[in-house]
Parts: sequence; C-alpha cells; structure tokens
Amino acid sequence: MKTTLLALIRTFPPAFRERFGDELREQVSADFDDARKRGVLSLAAHVAGATWDLLSSSVAERVRPTWSAFQYQPPESDGMRAVIEQWVRDLRFAARSLGKSPGFAVVTIGTLALAIGVNAGMYSVVNAVLLAPLPFASPDRVMSVAASAPGSGFPDEFGVAPEFYVHYKENSKLAEDLAMWSGGTSTFRTDDRVERIRMGFPTNSMYSTLGVQPILGRLPVAEDEERVIVISHRLWQDWFGGDTAVIGKSYYTSGAMRTVVGIMPPGFDFPGRTLLWVSGDYRAAGITRTGDFQGQIVARVKPGVTPEQLANELTALSKQLPERFGGTANYARIIEQHRAVVRPAREAMLGAAADPLWVLLGSVGVVLLIACANVANLFIVRAEGRQRDLAVRRALGAARGRLIQAQMSEAIIVAAVSGALSIAVAAVTLPVFMSSAPENIPRLENVTLGPATLAFAGVAALIAALVCGLLPAVRSSAPSFARLRESSRGATRGRTWGRDALVVAQTALALVLLIGSGLLVRSFSALRSVDPGYSTEDIFTFQFAPDNPNLTDGPSWSRFHHEFMDRLRAMPGVETVGIVENIPLNEGTGTAQFITETNGADPNASVALRLTFSAGDYYKAMGIRLLRGRTWEPADHLTAPGSVIISQSAASLLFGSADPVGKRIRLSNDSVWATVIGVVNDVKQDGFRDVPQSVAYFPLIGATPGSWRITTPAYVVKTRRAETIAPDIRAMIREVAPNAPMYRTFTMRQLERDSLAQLSFTMLTLGIVSALALVLGAVGLYGVLSYIVSQRTREIGVRMALGAEAGQVRRMVVGQGTRVVMVGITIGVVVALLSTRALTTLLYEVQPLDPTTFVATSLSMIAVGLLASYVPARRASRVDPIESLRGD
Amino acid sequence: MSAESLGLSNLEYHVLLALAAGPMHGYAVKDAVVEESGGALSPRAGSLYRVIARLMSVGLVVETEPKGEPEAHPGQPRRYYKLTARGRSELAAEARRLSRAAALATRRLGAAHGRSW
Repeated sequence: MKTTLLALIRTFPPAFRERFGDELREQVSADFDDARKRGVLSLAAHVAGATWDLLSSSVAERVRPTWSAFQYQPPESDGMRAVIEQWVRDLRFAARSLGKSPGFAVVTIGTLALAIGVNAGMYSVVNAVLLAPLPFASPDRVMSVAASAPGSGFPDEFGVAPEFYVHYKENSKLAEDLAMWSGGTSTFRTDDRVERIRMGFPTNSMYSTLGVQPILGRLPVAEDEERVIVISHRLWQDWFGGDTAVIGKSYYTSGAMRTVVGIMPPGFDFPGRTLLWVSGDYRAAGITRTGDFQGQIVARVKPGVTPEQLANELTALSKQLPERFGGTANYARIIEQHRAVVRPAREAMLGAAADPLWVLLGSVGVVLLIACANVANLFIVRAEGRQRDLAVRRALGAARGRLIQAQMSEAIIVAAVSGALSIAVAAVTLPVFMSSAPENIPRLENVTLGPATLAFAGVAALIAALVCGLLPAVRSSAPSFARLRESSRGATRGRTWGRDALVVAQTALALVLLIGSGLLVRSFSALRSVDPGYSTEDIFTFQFAPDNPNLTDGPSWSRFHHEFMDRLRAMPGVETVGIVENIPLNEGTGTAQFITETNGADPNASVALRLTFSAGDYYKAMGIRLLRGRTWEPADHLTAPGSVIISQSAASLLFGSADPVGKRIRLSNDSVWATVIGVVNDVKQDGFRDVPQSVAYFPLIGATPGSWRITTPAYVVKTRRAETIAPDIRAMIREVAPNAPMYRTFTMRQLERDSLAQLSFTMLTLGIVSALALVLGAVGLYGVLSYIVSQRTREIGVRMALGAEAGQVRRMVVGQGTRVVMVGITIGVVVALLSTRALTTLLYEVQPLDPTTFVATSLSMIAVGLLASYVPARRASRVDPIESLRGD
Repeated sequence: MSAESLGLSNLEYHVLLALAAGPMHGYAVKDAVVEESGGALSPRAGSLYRVIARLMSVGLVVETEPKGEPEAHPGQPRRYYKLTARGRSELAAEARRLSRAAALATRRLGAAHGRSW
C-alpha cells in the first residue's frame, strides 16, 4: 500500500521529482505511518486522500509547473555563497569527469602547459630585459642625444662633439643635467690578470645625470683629472672577489696608472656591459678643434619635457656653435643641416634587443592562441558527445547560463592545472633559452622566474580557460531540442562553423609565423654569403700580455712581437702568422683625421679614417686581398720613417683615382708623414651588415720610439688546427713569459657565429615556434575533417550506395579541407603583410614583403593542408555503405 | 515575477508564516501549518511541496543550511527552507491586509474598537 503511494510520486515531472522527490517520499511515508497508528479506517481515509493529493498535484504540476530545474534563484543574503557552492559542485563534477577520460586530460593539459610555459619564460625575458626600469633615478627623464645631418654625407646618425656638450650644458633650459660619454675596449691590468675590457669614458656629470651613487667609495671630482676610476659591481666581484681593499689601489688602466675611488651598485653598467669608468671633464677653453663627433650625450630633462621639445631646443642651440667655436666651412655646412636626435634612454639602450624579443614574445603568443584553438576544438568534440544529455537538461528547464557554467568548469580545471605545470615548463625551457641567447642582449643575467612570471602564467591560464571553454560551452548549450529526436548520427551541416573558424584562425596564425621565419632564413643565408673582405676559415686568434722590464718603448715591443711570430710560425701545422690591433668582428677600430700632402695646406680639409696597426702576414692570414703595392716587411716595423697600408675606399677618399702607392699621409694632429706602401681590400670590421670600412694600417713602430707602444695586439694564426691549437700556444707563451696571461682566444669561425648570433638565434627560435604552430595547425585541421567524416559516414554511405566513386568522395572531403585552409591562408597573408615590418631590423637584403617567401610558405601551407585532409578523406572513401546504414 | 500579481493562497500564507519563525525543513513546516491554522489546514505532501516550489520560484523562499540544529535523522540530509527578505515583506503585507479585513469585519459586526494590528 505504502509502496503504491510512493510509486505515485513518479507521476510528477522529472524536474520536480529531482528536487523534491526525497522530501515527498519522506513525508508520504511519515504521514502513512502516522495514519496507520490511528487505526484501519483512518489509514483508508488517508490513503484515499493521499492518492488524490499526489495525482492531482502531479497533474497540476504538469499543467502549471511551479518548478523547473536549474532555475535562477535571486541572490539574497547568501547569494554569493550559493554561487560559490554551485561552482564548487560544478568543479568537483568536472574533475571527476576529466579523471574518467585521462587521454583528453593529458592532451589538453599538456598542450596548454607547454604553450603557457613557453610564454611565461619568454615573458620573464622581456620583463627583465625590456620592461624593468633602468637602474637610474627617475629613468623616464633620462634621454639620449645623438645627431643627424640629412644631406651632409654623414651617416644617418652620428655622435656629438665636445663643443656641443659644453654649449648645451651651459645653455639648455630644458635639461637639468647633461653628460657626454664614449666607450670602447682598453687594457686593464691587475697584479695577476690583464685584459682588454669594456670601459666608459664619460664626463664626471654622468653620475649626477643618471642619479647614481657608488655603494662604496666616492665619485670622481674635477680635481681628480682622469687619474681615478670607478669600477662596476661585476668587475669588483669577478676580478677582486668583492674585496673592499681595492679602494685606493692603483692599476694600469687604458694607458696610465689610475686609482680606484668607487664601486657602483650591481646592475649599473651604463652605457651597456661597461666594467669601469674613466671620467674627466671638458671645459670650453680646452676645445681647440671643432667637429670631433666622437661622443654621445645623455641628458636628464626637467619633469614633463618631451624628447621633441629637447630636440628642438638643442637643435636651435647647435646653430650658435660656429659663431662661438669657429671651425671650417665644412663644419658650418654640417651645423646648418644638424638636427639633434633625442630619444628616451630606454629606447636607446634596449632598442637593438627589443625588436627580436618582441617578435619572439609575439610568436610564442601566437602559438598559445593556436594551442588554445586546438584545445577548444577538443572541448567541442567532447561537448558533441554530450549533446543529448545537454538537450535533455535544457528541455527540463536548465538555464543556459547554468549549462555554460557546468561546461566551463572542465576548461577551468584544465587551464588551472596547465597554469601550474607551465611554471615547471618555464623553469626547464628558460635556462636553455638563456644559454643559447646572444650575449649582447642587455640585462639577460637579470632574468629569473619571479612573481611577474607567475602572474603572467596565471593570466595566460585564465585567458586560455575562457578561450578554450567558452566557445564550446556556448555552442553546446544553444537551445536545440531537435537534437532530442535526432539519432546520434544525424546530419551535422551548419554545425561545424565554430570548428572551421578555429582551423581558419590556426592556419592564418601558423602561416604568419612561417612567413616570418622564412624571411629570417632568407636573411640568414644572404648574410652568410656576404663577402666581409676576409676569410673566417682556419683562423685562430689570441692576445697575451707579457710583462717584461726590457719592453719599454715601441721598437722593443715591435721586436718582441716579431720574435714571437717567428716562434708561432715554427709550430707544426701553422701556415701564416700576423698581428692586428683590433680583430674584425670582435673589436671596433678607432677613428682619426688624416691629411695628404696635396690638401695639407688646409688644416681642416681632413679625411676621417679608421686607424689600426698590423704586422707580419696579417693580410695573407686573414685572406684580405692586396690590390696594389706590397704588404709589410720586417724592416717597416723597426725603423722610422713610417710606412702605412690603406684600404681601397681609404685610397679613393684620400687620392681619388690616382695611384696612392708612394704618396704620403699624416695624422692631422701629428707632424710626421707616412708613405703608402700598399692598398688592400676594405673589410667589414664590426659585422657582416656593416658597410666596408676605410682603414689606415700603421706598423708597430711610430715616428719616434716614444710615439706609441703596441703591447697586446691580437695574434692571427692561420692553421688547420684552429680549433685545437690553443693549449700548444699557451705552453709556448709560458716559455717566453711565465706570468703572462693568454686571453681573448677565438677562432674566426666562432666570432662569425657570434656576430650572426642575434639573427640566427631569433631565426632558430622562430623556426621552432613556427614548426610547432604548423604541426598544431595540421592536427587541428585533421581533427576537424576526421570529425566531419565520422559524422557524415551515413551520408557518404548513401552516396556510395547510389554509385559515387571513392575518388569523388575523397575529392569532396579534401575539397572541404582545402576551402577552410584557403580562407586561413588568405587571412594569414593579409596579417603577415601588416606585421612582417616588425622584423625589419633583423632582415638583411630581404624585403619584409618578399614575394618569394610569401608564395613559398603559402604553398607549403597548402601542401600540409592537403596532407591533413587526405587521411580522413581516404577513410571516407572506404566507408562500407551497408555498414554505415546499419545500426540506426 | 511579482508576488502581488499572483496573490497568496491560504496555504502559501501559512507556509510563509511558519518560516517566519526561522529556517525549518519541509516536515516541520507541515506541522507548524497544522498547528498555526488550528487544524484548518493539514497539507498533504504533494500540495505542500508544490507550494514550497512555487514560493521558491518567485523568490519568497530559499533553501538554506540548518543553523546549528542537530540533524534529526543522521545519515539522511534534510533540506531546510527560509524566508527571503522579499518573502518576509510579502508576508507582512499579506498580514496587514488580513488584519485590515479582520478589523473591518469586527467593526461591521459591532465590536467597534478593535486594536489595530
């Protein structure tokens, strides 16, 4: 009897039953028990009444429902709590259901963790290198000042001369403080170590302009007159082990003994990787010659001053220079064209590293998008499998928002786990990235996995959850009661738009990355085939620093180097030996003004040439071609008067088309003439992208024994054993000078690799990233087509039963794939047209819109698309009509 | 959906009245209704829960956690209900209406000075 009553509860609509069934049962049961206690008559009456109540209520509930599942409950006092509880329930359920499909969970979490991890790592790099504030006081007010003079024949951008600095500093109203600086490598020697290191030569005002203080010691003052140095924290640690006793000690620094007076804070290395500073000052009275554009200016502007305002003020000030300091007609002409170029210090210091890093961050960001698209696709497939379930719940009155929330829960769990794992991915990939990154990226040593990285991973995971979860959830919760009737193999036309859109996006993004890396590959191969004017094959170079009381003047050093070259030449496997002051691709050369005998009458009609020293068979060893005259003979390095070898473009600058051999030139600030004995090829000194330089090579000996002393030039050894000869040479040095350190040991191959490192590194990274994008994109396309084929099995079966050929079916499927890919490629090409400009600074002899690259990468994209379509197409064409029609 | 437009049935009024005493589970609501209506109302299961469902649907009642009360039947979790702020004000409005109607009746029947509620 009681059972019958309880069974009547089933007549209620499911939604009502689901919510109130337990309570109904409990009350029906309790009421029944109460009635039974009151006797048989009472029980009979109760049963009749209860039956009527249940039946009439269930009919009433069906006619005028009071309850539908998942209805919105207005948030009241505990509304927030109810929302949270609902989420907790949904998340628990989602976690359980993910646990039941480990394959899905592993693929989605793995894809996202990898993509987010790589992004988080890249972001750490960008954050430390580009976004972190410069180590100056109010760094936003620090600006860099250079010069340009369009139409004057000078380079696009060049330095400033001391008179600019003096005049600016006295007269600028917008700049609070100004400093002039130049930098270069020079020798630094302690008791146990000697090397050429990067030094800064600023005015004393640099410290106040940048707003920095030493952590130990003091700053230089005018009275110090260049006899003191301030060292960087890194030099202090590396060379002196952090010993505070270094303050007050004197060391040989760039040609003189100078005393350490201060140690700068960690991270300060202005203008970049500088290890120590020799500062001095310019005074107006000390400026005897104008137009020595050797320095750079850094300024601290007053609050609110823009770079444009400062540029306008400084440009106007520079027009007063010829009047105040005099100078040649040529100088006046340059000043007429002169414009100050002002940019924020951040841009000036980090600009070169910025483009590649932003490009890489952008490209890994694109991979994240593609990964999200793939994962979203997987979620859509998963949701398709639940269509009937969802349609039922929706028909029962579940609010759309509730269904979306329930569906989003899985995406949120996947994203949260991926976000956590991505930190591990970043921790693994970051060291690999850092160790292969080119050394000239500033502040790379500051890169760490810090709070910023964690925050980035968190935000990326959140966005990924939204992107991956929202589209499938919205789509699958759309009201479509028709699906209740539909068999599981129903028609799917019109329901693939979401997935098609994802594949289009993936194809487009992958193509953009492919085009980018294609452009870089072409630049790299163009740069590799450049003729720098010298060879990089089988060449070993090193320096060493003998310390010998007999080596006092130019001639004694020259003899020493020649004797040492003889020893090297005698080593087994050594073909040729030479010496040069500044080895190409490693050090830049200095610049000096030269005059010839014909233009010597006008002291200001000088020609600026690069100045360096060489000896031995340097040109033969480096493969620099001799065009006229002869190269060095030992006598050239032992006795004055000097001779000089000049490069081809130097010859035409000095003498036009006339034969320079036998003609004489001299430094404009020196009175001794040197005779040109030979003309050699121009070389690209600083890098393969440079224009070839006009160089004057002097011998190791000057006009008088006191003129100059070449103490630690680079030895250049041509040998098949370039990679392995270092230990033998080290042993030989020990015989000659037991305490002399050997340093800056390179093969030219290695220097070549390093000089291409920025491009090759960006190219490789972008290449890996775009390959990843391509694979993910192909997998996405394959997934969509496989799905469509599986959904259309029945339709295909009918077609084949009606006589369609396997080939026709294949064409149909491939055609569908190709259409999607073509749309993606069109969009990708448009996006690439707009975005490859970001690569301009990395490209070499390739236009950002290079048609070859665009066409080739688009074709390969189509090929990949066809391949990804072909596998599902083949499966479709093998559909057995009988099989496909059975089973419904 | 406004409660005024729907009006409150006698049973709905008594369910709200019962819950005005504090959160309680369904069976306790029934007992309270029986007692507070002086036995005039003795809702059976189907009617009672349809009323509760309707009051929840229009936002006058929500499900809630029991507040510190020991579980009546351990192992069998019970759902508790309570008034929402709107449920409370609807109940008050209905009570005022009933009170005015009762006062009117009292006046007409000759007992002129009834206390206002």
